[in-house]
Amino acid sequence: MSKFTDYTEKCRRISNFFYNTGLEKARRRDLTGACQCLKRSLQFDKYNTDARNLLGLIYYEIGETAEALVQWVISSNLQQDHNRATYYLHEVQGKPGRLEDESVHIRRYNQALMQAQNDNPDLAILQLQRVVDHKPNYIKAHMLLALLYLEKADYAKAGKSLYQVLQIDKNHPKASWYMSVVKKNTGRADIERRRLKNAFSHHQMEDDDIILPPSYKENTGWQMVLHIIAGLAIGAAAIFFLVMPSREAQLHEEHNQELNRVLEQVNQKSMEIDRIEAQAAAAAGERDDAADRLQGMIRENEGILAQYQTLVRILQAYKNEDFPAAVDWYTGLDASLIEDEAMSGVIAGIQADMEERGWQVLADAGKQAEAAGDHTLALTHFQNSLKIRGDNPQVMLDMALVYKAMEDEEKANEIFGQIILNYPDTEQAAQARTERGY
Amino acid sequence: MINFEEELKQFKPSLEVERIEDAIADSDLTDMADIMMNLVKEGSESKKRNE
Repeated sequence: MSKFTDYTEKCRRISNFFYNTGLEKARRRDLTGACQCLKRSLQFDKYNTDARNLLGLIYYEIGETAEALVQWVISSNLQQDHNRATYYLHEVQGKPGRLEDESVHIRRYNQALMQAQNDNPDLAILQLQRVVDHKPNYIKAHMLLALLYLEKADYAKAGKSLYQVLQIDKNHPKASWYMSVVKKNTGRADIERRRLKNAFSHHQMEDDDIILPPSYKENTGWQMVLHIIAGLAIGAAAIFFLVMPSREAQLHEEHNQELNRVLEQVNQKSMEIDRIEAQAAAAAGERDDAADRLQGMIRENEGILAQYQTLVRILQAYKNEDFPAAVDWYTGLDASLIEDEAMSGVIAGIQADMEERGWQVLADAGKQAEAAGDHTLALTHFQNSLKIRGDNPQVMLDMALVYKAMEDEEKANEIFGQIILNYPDTEQAAQARTERGY
Repeated sequence: MINFEEELKQFKPSLEVERIEDAIADSDLTDMADIMMNLVKEGSESKKRNE
């Protein structure tokens, strides 16, 4: 029995060896080789769960979904706990409709194979094209499609399918063979051969050989002109955007400073002009005042002088015994302007004589003018008479009658009122009442 | 050169999803350990018969 145990242990080791080899090939995407190793591994130990799971994964990768499910189901039955196959089964069967789609594509491939084997390649190609459109990792479909294209000598399409197969399974033996046929017929094989030859060809470098970097390019004349123009444009742009703004700002600053200086000077001049104008106005005012004062003094002096002349004429009239002429001149005399004390006695004597006799002369002259119809002259004489002797109701009455004759009722009534009020018991008051209608 | 007819014959249908249960049932899970066990069993039975 121990001999049997030894055999079992040896089988397990051999199985593990094939599993490791298969895993390594799977990592290098040599799926065909990996598949062979894993099958061999399971022949030595059917309980090698990793090998079986990996085999299922490779079947799934090459589009053989049903084969993958078979391996995962067996795996999960042989080892029910801690088995990755359970996860795989859940992923494939768990999503609704996914398994049905897979079934449709697989069935369609089988139909296409049957059509191809029954001399109906065109229909098979149509079916296979639909299959690989929906299931691009289905290697069997790609391979059959490539074979059909090769038979039709459509090497480009065949090459496209084979390229996709070799992307999934790099060492797929039949795909590699088909691809070599495609390359041979498209001339691709010669190109690759030359490229391989160039890649491995060597020649001895000499001292004069120069290695140019790939980025180096020889400039032509036009390129150089274009480069110079571009350089000038960039330089102009740099000056415009970098130098000009600072220079412009500097000029603005200088201009503002100059403007401020000029404005300050203008302000100073304006202030000076205002001051001079004020001085001139003050001087003009003083001048006008002085002129007024001078004019006043002149007028005053002229008035005083005139009063003296009048006084002389009055005295001359007295000397000539022409009293009416003396009264006439006296009416134009302003005795207040004559301040000479030596003359005050003379003036007082004249005033006393005029109050005694002079008023009567003027009253008579007024009556004569009134009688002659000259109301204005009559009023002048009456007013001058009253200036000399105001307390005279008869002259006032005569003057009021002149106003009445001139139809100046208001003025006439005013004077009638004064007579009635100031001299109520006189004959003139009674006449005034009569004139007023009392 | 590819012989189309020969190549075409080598293509086999894929296992369909509906036939998974049959495939599992038909699977030959015999491994080397099973073979060894059978050999040992047969050897012991023939020995008994000879005795």
